[in-house]
Amino acid sequence: MRIRPAGLALFAGMAIVLSACSSSSTGNAASPSATPPPDPCAGVTAGKAHTAPTDWSKAKIGVVTDIGTLNDKNFNEYSFKGAEDGATALGAAAPQSVVPKDQSDYKKDIQTYVDQGYDIITTVGFNLATPTTCFAKANPGIWFVGVDQSPICVTPQGAPDTTFACKGDAKTLIPNYVSLAFQEDQAGYLAGIVAASLSKSGEIGAIGGTTLCAPCVRYIQGYTLGAQSVNPNIKVTPAYVTRDFSAKAFQDQAGGKAFAENYLTTNPKVDVLFQVAGLTGNGVLDAACAKNIYGIGVDVDQYLSYPAADKCIVTSAEKKLQKEVSDALKAIGGGTAVAGDNTFNAKNDAIGVSDFHDKASLITADTKAKLAAAFAAMKAGTLTTCPTDCGVGPK
Amino acid sequence: MDQLITALYSIPLLGLVFQMAGYLIAIVPPISPIILRSATPIAFGALCGVMCERSGVVNIGIEGTMLASAFTGWVVGVALAPTLGTPATELFGLTPALVIALIAAIGVALAISALHAWLSISVRADQIISGTIINIAAFGVTGYLNSIIAKSSPTSAGAFSAFQPPTALTDLPVVGWLIGMFFAQGPISMSLIVFVIALQILLFRSRWGLRTRAVGEHPKAAETVGIDVILVRYRNVIAGGLFAGLAGASLAMEATNSFQAGMTAGRGFIALAAMIVGRWTPVGSLLAALLFSSFLAIGQALSFAPPSGQLGDVLSSLPSQLYDALPYIVTIIILAGVVGRTRPPAADGQPYEREAAT
Repeated sequence: MRIRPAGLALFAGMAIVLSACSSSSTGNAASPSATPPPDPCAGVTAGKAHTAPTDWSKAKIGVVTDIGTLNDKNFNEYSFKGAEDGATALGAAAPQSVVPKDQSDYKKDIQTYVDQGYDIITTVGFNLATPTTCFAKANPGIWFVGVDQSPICVTPQGAPDTTFACKGDAKTLIPNYVSLAFQEDQAGYLAGIVAASLSKSGEIGAIGGTTLCAPCVRYIQGYTLGAQSVNPNIKVTPAYVTRDFSAKAFQDQAGGKAFAENYLTTNPKVDVLFQVAGLTGNGVLDAACAKNIYGIGVDVDQYLSYPAADKCIVTSAEKKLQKEVSDALKAIGGGTAVAGDNTFNAKNDAIGVSDFHDKASLITADTKAKLAAAFAAMKAGTLTTCPTDCGVGPK
Repeated sequence: MDQLITALYSIPLLGLVFQMAGYLIAIVPPISPIILRSATPIAFGALCGVMCERSGVVNIGIEGTMLASAFTGWVVGVALAPTLGTPATELFGLTPALVIALIAAIGVALAISALHAWLSISVRADQIISGTIINIAAFGVTGYLNSIIAKSSPTSAGAFSAFQPPTALTDLPVVGWLIGMFFAQGPISMSLIVFVIALQILLFRSRWGLRTRAVGEHPKAAETVGIDVILVRYRNVIAGGLFAGLAGASLAMEATNSFQAGMTAGRGFIALAAMIVGRWTPVGSLLAALLFSSFLAIGQALSFAPPSGQLGDVLSSLPSQLYDALPYIVTIIILAGVVGRTRPPAADGQPYEREAAT
């Protein structure tokens, strides 16, 4: 077998291209779609006619995470823990989990649960919004719980709306789809207050996974506003690891560390760094620790979830994923589940900043008062925590 | 001086080039250690490729070998950390657990390379298929084992820490940043340059190198002068595993202190491209890997510390996705244009069959 040089070069070029764009971005709310794909639900088939069980202790519960890994010490892992708690509360067997390898696996993985007659299928991450909508519509007897998939955008027929007109009412059209949305900007706002209070240089940073991740962008937008509420002259420099959905965005810790080191070298005055990039972001925290500046974790209390960076984690902008996923499962079992968009924010105590642990002495009474005041104002609904282009990343 | 720079910068069009040069001169030295660090796994992977292909065996299983050794390094570290985890030395943060984990990582890479050698040399299987099997199997097996082990959120053995060269040296004018680039590194990255130079000399100036190249170019001729083709190929492919092992270990034990499924993220394939761009030579491979990671880092720097002035205006009008694509575009351009016609070893990818004695 002879391989010609041209063939080898072609192969190498292909390898580069493949690794560069190992995933394409389809069906996400933040990306402008030039030509809408013909049918976002292509290939979705309904399982056998399924009715919700009367005895929920026999329920079969499945979890589909986003691409990459279940054990990210972060978003996927704690959403799954929520499903575990929910299953325990229902008396059901421990939930199964499946981790898609890439975006083309989403439908296949959900279909597997559907075909096996699962009763509750939890899908984690905004990327899964479209497939979850399709399957929920096709299988009215199965409950679907989506994390970070709001707003559910459907046509008046209940199909995913690729034009983002969102004319349909998901709550009545797909009454078996419970979507859990968090107001990340509020958590980011509180983190911004902490960051600005700690910063001596007047420059703080934030690193997000991808500009296409609306929750990430909301965190950082809130963070900026929160920091400015403490120090109007503060310089907040956000950066995003990538602008697509490749593995670099959320699953490349080594890449995240190199990115953050680069960032901290070119922005040498930054002395507090907020990570909003999942597992990639754990590398961001590594870089912050290595440079002896403060890091702020995301989604869960990363002081507990990622102890390797305890040296520098001050706090984490938290959304109570575990509790809300668990509560959603319990509500389904109890017959009180609310379909459609369920928004969680300060009003239902579902966001906040984590405990300061061994950094508690750094947080002054003044900062604590500001945090409490901001949280109270969020509860009252009088505080703006996100600009008008909320969730829209930089181009 | 400042006046001269201002004058140069204000020349239409050409001024932009000067501004870009000025920007690069300002930005590259401080980030150069990061560039070498991200080039390390790619360059080591490419060295593995050079070892194999120079003796006539194509190895596209580098990605999988790296992944398996990254996993092994992490998991052995996790297992040993409670008993052998302390205390870390001042230099490089070495612990017995880390050192044993590194040896285990290399061991696994050697074993996988031996499998590839057996399949492609003795069994004479299609070498591309053999490599592909390694990639797929490594991804699946490590991902599965990781999902079991990581459930208990074990404490990792930590990571090798970077050496801090004295600031008196790194602050030297002109050459100081190069000292920082090559010495402000952990042990694996620091050893890269040593391996590259040693391999370059061995490959082109030693008896082993001559035999390796002879076997890769014309195994039949090599056999007639008494070189054992099979033995040379086995030895090289297995020894190449050392580099793939170091590449994997650098990801899980130096760049990070953890493992996650698919953490190599295509670096093993980029390593193959680096090997080709570097024309199957160790030094060329290193330069290609550095080129790739330089443009990655410069693309990032352009997006979060954009240059000011005219150049900044021009760059900010470009779509920012272009920065992400920059390293890949540059590699393709260089592969297609500057390197020109690359010539792999003539017997690359061909199984060798001894002629039956008559």
